[in-house]
Amino acid sequence: MSKKKFGGLGQYAGTIGALLILCVILTIVSDTFLTYNNIMSVFKQTIFIALTAAGMLLCLITAGIDLSVGANAIFCSCMVGMLVNKGITNPVLLIVTPLIAGTVIGLINGLLLTRLHLPHPFVSTLGMKNFLWGAALLVTGSQMVSGFPDSVMWLGTATVGGFPIGYIVVIVIYVIMHILLTRTALGRSIYCAGGNPEATRLSGINSANVLTFCYVVSGFMAGIAGIVNLGRSGTANGATAIQPYDTDAIASCVIGGASFMGGKGTMLGTMLGALVIAALRNGFTLLAISSAVQNMVLGLVIIAAVLLDVYREAMSASARRKEAAAKAKV
Amino acid sequence: MTMKKRFMGMALAGAMCVSMLAGCGDSSSSSASTSGSGASSSSDDAYNVCVIVKLTDGHFNKVIAGAKAYAEEHDNVNVEIQSPTSATAYDEQANMIETALGSDYDAVVIAPQQSAAAATKVASTDKVIVALDTDFDSEKKSAFVGTGNFDAAKAGGTAAAEAAKAAGVEKPTAIVLTGVQGDETHDTRLEGYTEGIEEAGGEVIEVQYCDALAEKAATAMEGIIQKYPDGVDIILNTCDDMAVAAVKIIQDSGSAAYADTIVCGFDGNQAAIELIEQGTLAMDVAQLGYDMGYKAVEAAVNVLDGNEVDSFIDSGSLAVSSENIDDYISDMKDKGLWDE
Repeated sequence: MSKKKFGGLGQYAGTIGALLILCVILTIVSDTFLTYNNIMSVFKQTIFIALTAAGMLLCLITAGIDLSVGANAIFCSCMVGMLVNKGITNPVLLIVTPLIAGTVIGLINGLLLTRLHLPHPFVSTLGMKNFLWGAALLVTGSQMVSGFPDSVMWLGTATVGGFPIGYIVVIVIYVIMHILLTRTALGRSIYCAGGNPEATRLSGINSANVLTFCYVVSGFMAGIAGIVNLGRSGTANGATAIQPYDTDAIASCVIGGASFMGGKGTMLGTMLGALVIAALRNGFTLLAISSAVQNMVLGLVIIAAVLLDVYREAMSASARRKEAAAKAKV
Repeated sequence: MTMKKRFMGMALAGAMCVSMLAGCGDSSSSSASTSGSGASSSSDDAYNVCVIVKLTDGHFNKVIAGAKAYAEEHDNVNVEIQSPTSATAYDEQANMIETALGSDYDAVVIAPQQSAAAATKVASTDKVIVALDTDFDSEKKSAFVGTGNFDAAKAGGTAAAEAAKAAGVEKPTAIVLTGVQGDETHDTRLEGYTEGIEEAGGEVIEVQYCDALAEKAATAMEGIIQKYPDGVDIILNTCDDMAVAAVKIIQDSGSAAYADTIVCGFDGNQAAIELIEQGTLAMDVAQLGYDMGYKAVEAAVNVLDGNEVDSFIDSGSLAVSSENIDDYISDMKDKGLWDE
């Protein structure tokens, strides 16, 4: 059972296939797509999505959701903006503040769900998203902030031989989280809490703490994403906090095989999902596609990916049934 | 434990209140702030003017400051500001306009997010109506005070093309980074830029729709550098967020082909103006928001006094570049719109 859930590249065939088809199409229609520099651009664009998606995945595995990831990330950028506006340039302070802010907000999200028993994280994180939007505007006085010191922009900017450092950090985070999810008791508890909450409780796992942990991680990831965001664009603007960044994160997870029903999803799948979204957006730019068509294509890709997943699931279920029936006959 | 619970309860209640204010669009309750006494409690001889802006951002902060400045200078005028939570909160603004028209204001100044919607709302009012920032067609409207995004962008496009020509380019190439299609403000700025570039003998070779977001503008700029390795002469942005991101990506790329690219922002945000000071951003189209807010309230009061006003009052715009930046900054400082 666990082998099937965590191991083998076969389960990613659909996502890898989708990514490859997308790359082939983009290579055919654009001379630029398959160049070293452009692929590096795709990696740079993946960083923000991959970070928000990492936290989102944990929440989705527990059958929850964190709609506040994007707003949290922007709020964290704006916290840095506020400090810079106040003339603070200490790099440690500028980097630690957004990380703490993001984590605390994740903790509040988790506590609202587990200690104050809000019915579904949809409610608490939706409220939090709006709250953070306002808070982001408040701390920056509704003004765009720029002029960040290089130290804080480093993560979003620096490269080694063209390869973005931020993406290396993302890979490290993904590997750590992969080990956490597949090789530790906590990781198994997270899958259990999503798959069957009642059985989890009966088996003596403190689901409340497990769930809270997931939202704390999501908040922490949003904090890093916030730092990446201001490093990439050189600006922080509270007005953008309400933008649907969470959709990209959810789409990455779902394309990568996660389910709203919980209990499913892997780090590798999510990374592939994030790459699909980033490659798509890169393609939109190279082809200078209108925003109307962009939205339609993105929507169709999400639907297609989930359809693929549903059919794959149905096929493997029927294969299992046949296998069981064959065994029963013998 | 009880303390903890109580605190959590308060935090929850607070979060809920804010989310209702921010998201659900109870129109009147999200008014930004007031100047002078409130509309209902004021004396009979004072004029009560309601100013409904599009949203609270760098530009409208200046508009609000200008409108309030007029009220402070004139004892017989009270100004109340209302602001939707975002530039596309159409229903929210429509509700605000409806509520304001039903209240006891003497005049309502409207910066419409959607011109047609504003025109419909004011069709049956007997209050004095002034259009601000963005015009709308209505018999009820006494005046339009603004620059017109089109004219301001056109001037910016022309200035950028002329600057490129002065640097020795015969037919400058330009790319426009803009907001989501259907957003009137960004669409109009795009049209203005395009006409300005073309009239000055340049060519807009591409339009990138970046939802007016810095992050997406960064992505687009990276793509542009890949797609046009020989460089593009001009990058025009329909807001400052995108301009700052474009400048950042060009700098990070270290591309020699883009070293002389003229990047132009829009809105006159302090962050963008500071980049001009540093020499990384070439120019910025600044609408003179303070004058816009001041003149709009002035026009409304003139009508209430029974005076004639022009149907179009130009509040002016300025293409800020290294040549005139010192004057612009000192003007902003005089009006209290510059943070040291």
